[in-house]
Formats: sequence, structure tokens, C-alpha cells
Amino acid sequence: MAEKILRLSGALGAEEDKLLACVHCGLCLEACPTYVQTGDENDSPRGRIYLMRAVAEERLGADSRAFTRHIDRCLGCRACESACPAGVEYGQLLEAARSDIAQRGTPEGWTSRTLRFLLRHVWLHPARLRFALASARALRDTGLARLALKLRIARLVSERAEFALMLLDSSSPSDAIKRSRASVTSRTESSAHDVSQHALLFEGCVMEGLFARVNRATARVLEANGCRTSAPREQVCCGALHAHAGDLEGARTLARRNVEAFDVQTQDTIVTNAGGCGAMLVSYGHLLRDDPRYAARAAAFSRRVRDISQQLESTGIRRGAPLDEARATYDAACHLLYGQRAAVAPVEMLRAVSGIEFVPLEQSDVCCGGAGVYNLLEPELSKRVLDEKLAHIKATGAQILATGNPGCHMQIGAGARGAGLPLSICHPVELLDESYRRAGVYKTVTGDE
Amino acid sequence: MNSLEENLRAIVGREQLLTDAGELLVYECDGLTHYKARPRAVVFPRSTEEVSEVVRTVTRAGVSFAPRGAGTGLSGGALALNEGVVIELARMRRLLKIDASNRLAIVETGLVNAQLSRAAAPFGLHYAPDPSSQTTCTIGGNIAENAGGIHCLKYGVTVDHVLAARVVLADGEVVDLRSAGAGGEGFDLLGVFVGSEGTFGIATEATLKLTPLPAAVRTLLADFRDVDDASRAVSAIIASGLIPAALEMIDGATIRAVEASVFTAGLPTDAGAALLVELDGLAAGLDAEAERAESICLQHGARGVRRAADERERGRLWAARKGAFGAMGRITPDLMLQDAVVPRSRLPEVLAAIYRTGEKFRLRVANVFHAGDGNLHPYICFDARDPDEVERVHEASREMMETCVRAGGTITGEHGVGMDKSQYLPLVFSADDMEAMLRVRAAFDPSGLCNSCKIIPVARGCGEARVVATRGSRDAVTQPHESAGTQQQPRDDERWEAMFSNSTAVNPSQTSATDEASSERFSASNKAEPIVATSQRLSVGASLQQRLSGIVGDDNVSLARVGESCEAVAVAPASFEEACEVLRLASREDWKVLPVGGRTWLDAGGTPRRVDVLIETRLMTRLVEHEPADLVATAEAGMTLDAFNATLLPARQWLPLDPPDDGRATLGGITATGLAGAHACVYGPPRAFVLGMRVALADGRIIKAGGRVVKNVAGYDLCKLFTGSYGTLGLILELTFKLRPRPAREATALVRATDYHALLAAARSLPHTHFLPVALELLSPRMARAVAPAHNDAQEDADGYALLARFAGTQESVAAQLAQAREHFGRAHGIRSVETHADDAHIWRTLAAVPLQHDNAAPLIWRAGVLPTELGPLLEAYERGVVESVREPFWHAGVADGRLRVVETFETDTETTISRLERLRTAARASGGSLVLERAAPEVKSTWAALNSHATVSSRLMRRIKQQLDPRDTFSTARVLEPEP
Repeated sequence: MAEKILRLSGALGAEEDKLLACVHCGLCLEACPTYVQTGDENDSPRGRIYLMRAVAEERLGADSRAFTRHIDRCLGCRACESACPAGVEYGQLLEAARSDIAQRGTPEGWTSRTLRFLLRHVWLHPARLRFALASARALRDTGLARLALKLRIARLVSERAEFALMLLDSSSPSDAIKRSRASVTSRTESSAHDVSQHALLFEGCVMEGLFARVNRATARVLEANGCRTSAPREQVCCGALHAHAGDLEGARTLARRNVEAFDVQTQDTIVTNAGGCGAMLVSYGHLLRDDPRYAARAAAFSRRVRDISQQLESTGIRRGAPLDEARATYDAACHLLYGQRAAVAPVEMLRAVSGIEFVPLEQSDVCCGGAGVYNLLEPELSKRVLDEKLAHIKATGAQILATGNPGCHMQIGAGARGAGLPLSICHPVELLDESYRRAGVYKTVTGDE
Repeated sequence: MNSLEENLRAIVGREQLLTDAGELLVYECDGLTHYKARPRAVVFPRSTEEVSEVVRTVTRAGVSFAPRGAGTGLSGGALALNEGVVIELARMRRLLKIDASNRLAIVETGLVNAQLSRAAAPFGLHYAPDPSSQTTCTIGGNIAENAGGIHCLKYGVTVDHVLAARVVLADGEVVDLRSAGAGGEGFDLLGVFVGSEGTFGIATEATLKLTPLPAAVRTLLADFRDVDDASRAVSAIIASGLIPAALEMIDGATIRAVEASVFTAGLPTDAGAALLVELDGLAAGLDAEAERAESICLQHGARGVRRAADERERGRLWAARKGAFGAMGRITPDLMLQDAVVPRSRLPEVLAAIYRTGEKFRLRVANVFHAGDGNLHPYICFDARDPDEVERVHEASREMMETCVRAGGTITGEHGVGMDKSQYLPLVFSADDMEAMLRVRAAFDPSGLCNSCKIIPVARGCGEARVVATRGSRDAVTQPHESAGTQQQPRDDERWEAMFSNSTAVNPSQTSATDEASSERFSASNKAEPIVATSQRLSVGASLQQRLSGIVGDDNVSLARVGESCEAVAVAPASFEEACEVLRLASREDWKVLPVGGRTWLDAGGTPRRVDVLIETRLMTRLVEHEPADLVATAEAGMTLDAFNATLLPARQWLPLDPPDDGRATLGGITATGLAGAHACVYGPPRAFVLGMRVALADGRIIKAGGRVVKNVAGYDLCKLFTGSYGTLGLILELTFKLRPRPAREATALVRATDYHALLAAARSLPHTHFLPVALELLSPRMARAVAPAHNDAQEDADGYALLARFAGTQESVAAQLAQAREHFGRAHGIRSVETHADDAHIWRTLAAVPLQHDNAAPLIWRAGVLPTELGPLLEAYERGVVESVREPFWHAGVADGRLRVVETFETDTETTISRLERLRTAARASGGSLVLERAAPEVKSTWAALNSHATVSSRLMRRIKQQLDPRDTFSTARVLEPEP
């Protein structure tokens, strides 16, 4: 029988088994935010898999309009995986599809071309990346970004540029936490927690560049719960942006470096606090499966990865002091939820913070439309998905929204700003950190950040 | 650019139209990937108006089209063949209204099934049909396929839950079809539309019934060594009189696939089979029922029975069951999911045969299915890249279908015929049966462009479509195209093609010429014939009588009167053959025929224009078959309901219908009138019980409609059309009914009050968490006196209204409800007394008999159907108008289903009566209801008929159906349809 089976082509061809696992039942359709918006089968997981299969079978070109358009329009949220009874690993198929598209030529549109340039020439070079993110931080922290938004200068360039600035600006520390921090009166209790565990912290490029405060809070909170951390110096960007953009080689380059960087203390858990990075790290085993030198090490690496919320599940969460009264809700980052299966753990972090009232968010398991740089590449569809998310957030009446991924953080922040919705965005660990600070847990641990 | 595409773009806009070849590719198949046909375009209309415009434009261009929802169908039904246009309704997904007090929802048909239940949940309601794909499939698709689901064993299939649909016909006309189930007007167009697989038109909006969420649920997981034990347990559970909400079987192979998926639910991976049994209802007595089910499983070899501890575990179990199809993707590259139904009692042998077939063709076969309905779903695993294996899949499928049909089953229970099953249709239907179906299709869609070539392919166009559909893909399946059945002649489909105007094989002018000829004859007989021509008829009568005696013998022919003045010959055939011979003779001689049962309701409906022969069914009274474990029985049409139920009594089963009846009503008559009684609000009207029938058409051919199994979507459900057609389409000879177990106990609470508003309010406030009355009937004072005279001397009670609340079920649950009813009504405002009747059969018998026992010469009987909340206002309007002109009426009204029947004595003049009825009908229609005049003096009827003679889209549809099935207008002229003005 084997000789009757056609050989399929391209990166998708290599994933033939995963393509064949789809029996076309359609249970994924309603889990897909883009299908819910358009009702077009081409914008559904089943439809995209059908297109992929057509490309692999060479019934359709990888550079055809249908294929590139609808693969591009996929958010990559992987919500479909949780609805799929056949266990189709859609995320990996999507990466293969994007890789096939990338192989066929230069993308259309200057946004895509800029992205590809940045991924190749900035992201793969740690020094250049640090410089770029420092510049962005400067733009944000000097208030220039905000000023440009206020004066509507950015809009003169394009709506997209304006939204990009809004994204940047909304990575600023949350007002709610800044305010509450001002009202902390210092107490003299010392932290008497036993530190018995050790973990390695994956800092991430955007996290360290724009959300360094979250990384510090992660380290403090873990330590307060008995887990000391250190961050390997040689770590680099996780490669998620590259993989999602079809640059699997770029992603592999970064993955190998990270595997090396974390190959110290090989028993230690690798803790992340960004869903996008975490999901990528978890898939290193798959990404490097055909690399004889790295396959086994990458698989071992992936098994060690935990989100901060999952790590806290194993340490237990100590209580801090109450925060100022506020209503808070949680939006699940897709890659945290679907990539790392962290559904309950992040909510448990929020529930451990006293003083705030937790209200569940309707459809918190649906993508916000951020999806890495999707919001800049597919602004129209992204906005429709975002608007739905904002409507649900508004209905909760929450003042604080916590989420575990920088992309979602900035997307919802920018969206709320555009919609005039007063909302503080933060990582759940920031709230926990603040409540520990108020309880004086850090008095003896750390003086300042 | 083709002008059709341009025209479509002009209607819907650029964004709502796909024409890119690559983008069209994903629309080349539905959930069954074996059949592929790439459409020429996909349109996404956003409103009924756009759908109508699109359809009109497409058909005008002579192009065929296929409606599509989520594309989860498993019969290839959503494919646009012959390079047709896909009309995709996914962008019409608004939930327009939830009316919790009337328990209904109005939706656009692109709405996803599960979303309706989610939206209804805060009101304590849900949409009961729950196909496994309910998280993505659309209401429109459910309507097209008459979708079933896991809980349809107790709650019924889609057709039982659709109250109305807005439909766009192939010519772009928009028509509102309403359920005739609760006593609407005319043929049950909606009933036959549901399940027509998109070949009759496109439903764009639907009014759906919502069902209260059960107060309590028990879910059991029984674990068996093998499939055989498990299927014997299924039969035993059904035969025990339990009605589980769901009864599902999952075999070992499927269990292991599901347990490896995201839907893992802790099913026993070493089991040969598992049964999921769900019981729901009131909390009282439910545990006892669960224990009974459990002990039956254990008696039949279950290794253990586990109960779901909470709602979460229950949810996981059902998610595992519903994810089974997709989960099979883990163990096989391709999957053929079959669908067939067999009588429950035959499950063990049929399952064994199906596994044997798998072995014979070297194919892995797994089974997961609705065991309680006998609805099998064999999964055949294969690899489409291997042509030999594909061929074996087809042979195995056919063998499985043949096995099921031999066992008395049918070829599809819920997936539909579509592309896949049309080759098997001749296994269950003869060429005559299929021709009758096609005639109905031609009435709905004379163009033949509406989802063309599905179900029953006609001639050349479809032969080509088949080839196109399966060519050019490596998944292509070679189609065994030789004629499948024994009956079907090669020329049938060519002959059939002539029915449709858009056929390629026959010159269109020829086709329409035939149609026009018959249409002329039809209208001519309507227009030209005087109502009665007595003297002339009598002389004809004598020769008539002679010739009929030749067929059925002298003893079975007599002279009879019909209505006031019409004389005819009554003939009672003793067999189907005799009946058909009579019909053939009548057809040759152009005699008009009136089918007659128990003569209880013969003068209801329109006055027949002319009757020459009455065909009586009184000599055809055999019980043909009754298999208690199947809860199904077949009898000849002349058998009375009483006799039928008496036969079923030893098995503790019955047909729970209560139309107007004093013991004479026959099964045929009840079905032909389709009338609902007090218990229909819970048990359902006759249409919900008729599984199949044999009907003699006007030319003496006997056709079969439906079948003998509880779920059946093979072909069009013509049973729905014949039910309630008052004998205007054919002579019903034999009927197969779904039965129910007789409840262990029945009892009635009788509540009296001087004001019916108090009774209505008290009845409405019965919480459904504690009460499940099987009838809830409000009676006028006179009716109350007739049914249950007050035992005290109080004048108020004698003059008062009464409410009957009947409870049925286990001893425990009836006792609990009676006690609570006493308390509930005792506390309610304005109630005078509450009596309980443990022996209540006579009450309900009397109630049903009243419309037939008018002691006056001129009865005026009418019925109305309104939303339950509109019943109060309708009664108010009625009582206001009635005070001076009419003697105290009998009436009874269904509080739960808004059904009202009024029996008056006609004392005033025609004009006053008509204007009074018209006012009431206007009031009823204002909220979507109806009012039908049943029995009245001839002059009242004819005046009323004249008011109804204006043509509407739906009356035009009915006329076309009548013309197609009875072209010479032989049957019951004008009993349902008034002649065109």
C-alpha cells in the first residue's frame, strides 16, 4: 500500500499525519474567532486545514491568494485545538503553512516586509534587539508616545502607526498599582518563608524590554513562596514571532541558543510569565525534532517549562495584605490557555489577592485579536475580534484586567484606550506582588526593584 | 466576468461573495469528504430579502443552488452540484427573540444550535434537539436534515420542535410555514419541509419550541463485556416501560479513541461496550427509576454501573460521547460514518452482522450510537489513498444498509440522504413511492434547481453531476452506478425528470403542457361542478352500485347520504387490493371519492363539492404487528383507537391520542384529521406518532411513506402531508405508530373557581420543577358540569369553571404531584375547591366525546390555536361576544399549548356568527395563531369558505401538492382547499 501513497510536498507535507488526523467534523468552527466573525469556511480551522491539505497535495499553490490570505488571517490562538476531538495539532500545522508561504517569496505589503526585516536583522541579534527595545522604552517613558497620541501626530502617518503607539503606551505600569503603591505605609515584618526550591526564569525579549517590572515581580513572588530564581545570562528571544511568521529557521536558531543557555541545573523548572513565550518553549521539542544534536535536549527542555501560575500551584500561594477595593477580571492569554493548558491556575493567583473582587469574564477563552503582531498585519479583522472582547470586559464593570501575556496586555490596553474604557491592565503576578509588598513580605528580601 | 456573479455582487456586495477558485475549494465538501463538487460561487446573504433576491437571480439564470449552514452534514447534502451556487447562511446568526412565557425562540437559521440553549438557560429552558455537532451546526442545517441527537429518544427530533419557518422558495417567493401539529389550517407544509434537505427551499428564520430544563437528572455509565450484552440491556430497558432521556452505546474501540482525546471522561477502556443511560424529570421517583435501569443493566451482564456524581462529570461524559466521531481521527486517516436505524429488538443480531461485514471486507468497524432509538452509527476506518480500500468501504456500506433494511429498518435516521444515500433509497422505497416524493418536490420547486440531484436524482443532469462530484480528487470514490434496487427501471429517472421545468432531457414546453392539462382538469372540476346535483347523481348511483358490488360484494355496498343533500354509494373494501380496484374504477370513471372511517368527523372541514363514492375502511381492522420491545405497532386504518389501545394494554403500552372521539374514531380517521386533544401538549399530536403508512393514491397505486422505526429521514416524510389532509390526497390503508409505555398511575386534580382568570393564573404558576402535568385543561362551566358534576349543592360550583390537571408516571411521582397540587391550588387566589380523582379515565373520555354528542341539530364547532399567553385574551374576546347571541357553550382550552375547542349551538343568523368568528380569528391571527371552523350549518360553512378563498403563497403550495398527488381531484374535493376564486 505504501507505494500508492502520494508524497506530499513542503513543510506541510512533512506534517502529513497531522493533516490526515482531521476528519472534517467541523467541531472547531465556533471555537475560531475569525470564523465567528466572518462565517467564511476559509477563515475556519477546518477550512485552513483543507487549504493546507490542498497545498500539500499540490491542488493549490502555496502562493495562491486563497492560501496566503486565509493563513495570514489566522490569529494562531489555537483555541481550535481544545475543541478538536481528533487532537489535530493545529498550531504546528500553521507554522508549517506559514513556512511554506515564506519559502515562496516576499510577502506583500510593507508591514509584512518590515516585520520580516526586523525578525531577521534585529530579533536574531541580542544587542540590536536590546537597543531597539530600549529606544521603544525611552519613547514610552519620556511621555513622547503619549504626547504624539494626544496631538494626533501618529494618525497623520496612518491609523496603524497610531495603534502601534497605543500598544506601546499601554505597556506602561498599571495606574491601579502605581496608585496603590503610593498609599503603602511601610511595615516592619520580615519574610520568614523557607526557601527550598530553585527555578530558572525565562525573561523574554519584550517582557524584559517593556515589562521588566513583571519579571522582577515574578522573581519576588516566587521567592516569597519558597522558590528562589535566577535568570541565565545567555538566554535570547523565544522565537515565537519567527515561528508564527513562517521563519522556522530563525526560530530554530533561537531555540538552540536557549536550550544551551538553560542547560545548567537541568533539574530546575523553567518559569515563564508570558503565555506566548511559554507556549513556544513548550514546543521546542517539536521544533527541533529533526535536529539530531538537539532533539533530545529540546524535548527535555520543553518538559521543564511552567508558567508562573503553574509553578505557584506547586508551591502554594501565601496570602498578602488586601489591596484597595476594586473589581478585577481575568482574560486568558490563548497561548497560556491552549498552548500550556493553564486554565485555572492564573485565576487562582487572582483569587489569592484579597481586597479585590474577582468577576469572571464572559468568553475569556476567546482571543483578543492581538496575536503577536496580527493587530498590525490584519488590523480590520483584529479590530472586530477586539471589539467583541471589549464589550465583554465592559459588561463585567471591572476596573482591573489581569492577563498573562504582553501582547494581550498591550492589545486590550490600546483597545480600551481607543474605546474610552477606563481600565488598568496588569499581569496577575503584579497584583500578588503588590499585596505582598503591602504585607511587608519583602522588607528583608528586597529593598527596591 | 460572468454576469451571474456580477448580479449576485450587486445584491449582496463584494464582501459577501466568493468566486476565487482557491477559496471555493473549501466549499467542495461537507462533513462527508467522499463527495466533492466545487461550486461556482459562494454567497453570504444577511437577510431573508437578500436570500430571496439571490435565489431568484440564480434560478432565473437556470443555475442550481445549495443552501449551507456549518457544513457539518454527513451525507454530502450541502454540495452545489452542476457548478451551482452555495448559499451560505453563516452570517445570519441573530437570535431574534426568546419568549420565555410561551417557551419559544425566534432565530435566524444560521444560528448555532448550542448557542440557543445557552441563551435560553437563564430562563430555565433549552432547545432539546442536540445532535453531536451541536456546538457548531446551525438551526437551518438541523431543519434541513430533521436532525436528531442524543436526547431525542424522549424529546423527539427537530420536526417536533419547529413551530414555524420562514422559507424562501426556488422562485424567490417568501412563505411562512406554520406547524399544523397544534391544529393549524390546511396541509402540514412545515412538517414535510423539515427534513427536505434543502430541496424545497431555504429556511431563513424559524420559531422553535423551548423545553424546560429537567428538574433532576441521573446519568449512568454501565460497563459491559461485549456489545451483545449491552444491546440486550437496551431492549430490556425500553421494554420495562422506562423512557430514558438518552440511551447511548459506545463500543470498546470508540471508548479507547475517545479516552485518548481531549474529551477523556474516564470511560472503561477495557470494556467491550458501555451504555450511557440518562433519566430526567421530577426529583420524586427519579432515583427509583435510576435503580431500575441499573438493575436491568446488571441483570444483563454489566460489570459495573457508575453514576455521574455531579453536573461536571455528566458534562464530561456527554462531551466524550459527542466527540467520538472526531476522536476516531486519531486511529484512522479517513472515516465513513454510517447511519441506519433498526427496530430496537433486532440490535444484537444486526450489530453482530455489521461487525461481520467489517471483517469480511477487512475493514476496522467501530460503533457509537443512539441505542435507545435503534439508530446505528457504524464507523468504517480506512485510508482514502488506497483505492482498493475505498472500494471495499463502499461494498461494506451497502451490505450494512441491506442488513438493516432486512431487519425492518431504514437507511438513515438523522444524517439524511443527500448524495451518499440516494443509491440506497431503492432498498426501502419503490419507484412509485419515490415518484410520489418527487411530485411533492415538484410542487415546492417546479424548477428542480433547489439543491438539485440530491435524495432522488432525476435523469441525465444528475448522472453527470455525480461524475463531476467524484472526479478530480485523490479522495474520489468510484460510484457503483448500476441501478440498485429491484424495482427501479432505468427509465424512471428519465420519466421523473419531466416533472421539473429546468430539466435538460425533456423539452420544457412538453413538460408544462402535461402540467397544464392536469391543472386545467383540477380547476375545472372545482369551478364547474355545482355543489350537489342530486337527481342526476341518483341515477348514476344505481349503476355505480352495481359495478362496485362486483368488486367488494353486494353486502359491502350501500347508498349513503353525505351532509345535507348529497347522495353517494358507500363501499367497504375488505382488503387493500379491493380498495385499489375501487379507486382504479373511480379514476377511470372520474368519480369523486370520499374516504370514511368512523364517521365521527366526516362533516368537519370544507363541504365536499361532489361525492360519488364513499370508501369505508370499516372492514380493514387488523392489527398487523406489535413488537413490545420496539414500542411500535402497525394496524389497518379501519381499526378504532379504542380497539388498538385495548390490544396494546397487556404489554402496558398505548397510543396516547385523545382527539374528539366517542369510541368510534378509527386510526385512519384520526390520522387523516390530525386532530390534537388535551394530552397533545405533552405527548404530542398524531403527526408525532405516525412513523409510517401505506396509502392508496387516486390512480389505485399503493405507496409507502415513512417506515417502521422511530427515527427515519430516508426521503421526504410524506406521512406529515397525509396526516391532517382530511383524505384529500389519498386513502390511508395502514399505519405504523410509535407507542408509549402506559404510566403506572394516572390521576387528576380538579380545581373549581367562578372566574377562569384565577384558574389560568394558578395553572401558569405551577413550577415545572415540581409538576409535569400531562394535560392541563380549562373547562367552561357547561363542560365542567358534563365532565365532572360538582358533588356539593353550591350554585357557584355548578356555574363555575374548572381546571383539570392530570399527572401520570410512577406511583411515587404522581402521589407527590397530587399532594403538591392540592397545596398549590389550595393556596392560589380565587380558588373554590380542589378535588383529586384517582380513577380519572372517565373524565377524559367524556371530555373527548363532548364534541360528538351535541344533542342539537345545528352544532357550531370551531377550534383555535394561539400562544399560551394569548389564551386569556382570546377567551375574554370570546366571552364578550357570546353573551347575548349563543346559548351556554361547551369549551375546553389547553393552558399549556393555547388550544381551544368550542362547541356551540347555532341559534343566530349566519351573518352574526360569521362576523363574530371573523373578529375572533383576526384576534388569533394577530399573534400568529389560527382559527378553524370545524362543523357548522352548510350556509355558515359556505359563507366562511368564501372568506378564505383568496390565494396566498402557502395555499398555492397546497394546491400544487394536491394537483401533483391527485391530479384529477378525485379525493375529497374541497374538504381542505377552497377552489380558487
